[in-house]
Amino acid sequence: MKRALSLLTVLLLTALFLPPSVPALAAGKVIIYNWSEYIPDDVLEAFTKETGIEVVYTTYESNESMHDKLLIQKGRGYDLVCPSTYFIPQMIKEGLALKIDKKRIPNLKNVDPKLLNQEFDPDNRYSIPYMWGNYGLIFNSALVKNAVTSWNDLLRPEFKGKIMLYDDPRMTMGIALLATGASLNSTKESEIRAAYEFLLKLRDPKNVFDVTAAKNVMVNNHSVIGGIWNGDAQVAMDENSDLVYIYPKEGVPLWMDSFVIPSGADNVDNAYAFINFMLRPEMALRSVEEYRYSSPNLGTLELMDKKMRESRLLNPTADDLRNAVMLNGVGEAKALYDLYWEKFITDAK
Amino acid sequence: MLQNKGFRFFSITTVCIWLGVFALLPNMALFLVSFLDRTDTSFFIPVLTLDNYLRLFAPAFIRILLKSLALACVSTLTCLILGYPFAYLLARSNRRVRPWLFLLVIIPFWTNSLVRTYAIFTILQNNGVLNTLFNRLGLVEGNFSLMYTNFSVFMGLTYTLLPFMILPLYASIEKLNLRLLEAAKDLGAGPVRSFLHVTLPLTLPGIAAGSILVFLPSLSLFYVPEILGGINYRLLGSFIQYNFSKGANWPVGAAASTVLTLLLLLMAVFYRLAGRNEREGGAAALSAPGGQTAPARVERG
Repeated sequence: MKRALSLLTVLLLTALFLPPSVPALAAGKVIIYNWSEYIPDDVLEAFTKETGIEVVYTTYESNESMHDKLLIQKGRGYDLVCPSTYFIPQMIKEGLALKIDKKRIPNLKNVDPKLLNQEFDPDNRYSIPYMWGNYGLIFNSALVKNAVTSWNDLLRPEFKGKIMLYDDPRMTMGIALLATGASLNSTKESEIRAAYEFLLKLRDPKNVFDVTAAKNVMVNNHSVIGGIWNGDAQVAMDENSDLVYIYPKEGVPLWMDSFVIPSGADNVDNAYAFINFMLRPEMALRSVEEYRYSSPNLGTLELMDKKMRESRLLNPTADDLRNAVMLNGVGEAKALYDLYWEKFITDAK
Repeated sequence: MLQNKGFRFFSITTVCIWLGVFALLPNMALFLVSFLDRTDTSFFIPVLTLDNYLRLFAPAFIRILLKSLALACVSTLTCLILGYPFAYLLARSNRRVRPWLFLLVIIPFWTNSLVRTYAIFTILQNNGVLNTLFNRLGLVEGNFSLMYTNFSVFMGLTYTLLPFMILPLYASIEKLNLRLLEAAKDLGAGPVRSFLHVTLPLTLPGIAAGSILVFLPSLSLFYVPEILGGINYRLLGSFIQYNFSKGANWPVGAAASTVLTLLLLLMAVFYRLAGRNEREGGAAALSAPGGQTAPARVERG
């Protein structure tokens, strides 16, 4: 009995200290770790049908949880992840991203050159754009009588308790930075503090700061004005025709999510095959239809119907994006963003 | 006999290993991490510090703690006030009705509590179920929303945790010896008096168990206040969750979690005291002023 017990203990202890991922997974698999609701099921099925590669699809709800998991597993366990722009510099620095061989992704030619070679990853050495969008201003035209053109309009007394913004530090601090005339990717403490003070003026118990409830509170008139992603805005506008989406004059934050192959990926070949497959115009279009965000894939434009092509939410004009800025990593200043965001949340009366 | 011993050994060992690996070890690790420092690229580094606990003395955290405790107290009291009569009814109901009453308590568990929390959202929101109902009945004009208020968070917690109050209460009320109540009546105690001096002290362990089962989760359930209260209701549970995820500050999260564990230990002590009280208090109730102790002694045999 004692021997059985010690055997059991040894077994359990060994299990504890085994590396979290078992290496040498069978060929013919690609393990994707992506945002939930981000690639339509039929696209995944089409990929498996065509290539015979099985797709294992797992999801995350925030860049942080994806990044933390990769960091703990030292980049192993997944073949493909999809971080936002401002997480990519950090992942490169930590050695979590594999250098990409662009020759293996011929369909990269479909991607809008304007969205390549961005500051967060010059020359796209580690990341390939998948989806992008912007965080603009939505308001209810039936309940808002005076014209709205600026993020500073949120300060109007008439909107007290009727504002909705995301509980996302980079988006919400971002619009506050733009409203106070600073750069979206500011690293100066004085500017970040000014943005925090701008947000404090919007701190009312009835204002909503919640990304998951955003569409709902706009559709149901709980809030009459707020910041929202273009895709969420489109879904809300389909349900409530009074809602209007505009690009404020100070500019909007642009976001983009890109495919990155983790440095410890086991099925690198399959990851390349998958990226290349996703960059086909038909596949990119399916994602746009399903989730209403913009595609960096120029090929989708020809396939879109007139209504979609002319939607300024999906395909903003150059004038709409006049002052728009792509979110970028802020390096050391991230601690300042965290600090002031934390203060903003907890300083409420 | 030998087989029996083997089985006992096996089942006890399994439970011990299970608890050791999945409860004790992680908690020890948490406790350890709460004394460690961190850097921007590592979740923790092996440098001892008390900073994480000192940070919990910041007014912001104290405010979170007090708000959490206040909401947890109100929810627990409400659950007790609503749950006690129901548990009483359940324990005293006739054998044919009881399974159905039980079913009422169990049914909510068939649906994931996250889904139920979103259901409360659709009831309380602007143009929600309640809003529409009140408008149709002509009780109010126009839109109102109860979302993102003390009330919505309180309602979410109370609704989710009520069954955890009812079940232990039921267990202890069901155990209650009816002949003690008859004795109290024979000795001239009215219903109020016999409730206060017999029923209540004897069901105190149930009250304590139920209160702990409601109080602790209402401190740590992070999604209920988050969904129904929004950013204004960052309570203790959400604070811990935030530090382990987006805040990426494990040591501070671990320190806050240790504070929660200490609260749990305090309550375990309280529970033990309540148990002792019952043993002594039960006897005391029976020897209450004017009471005759002799029949009680016989009763307790």
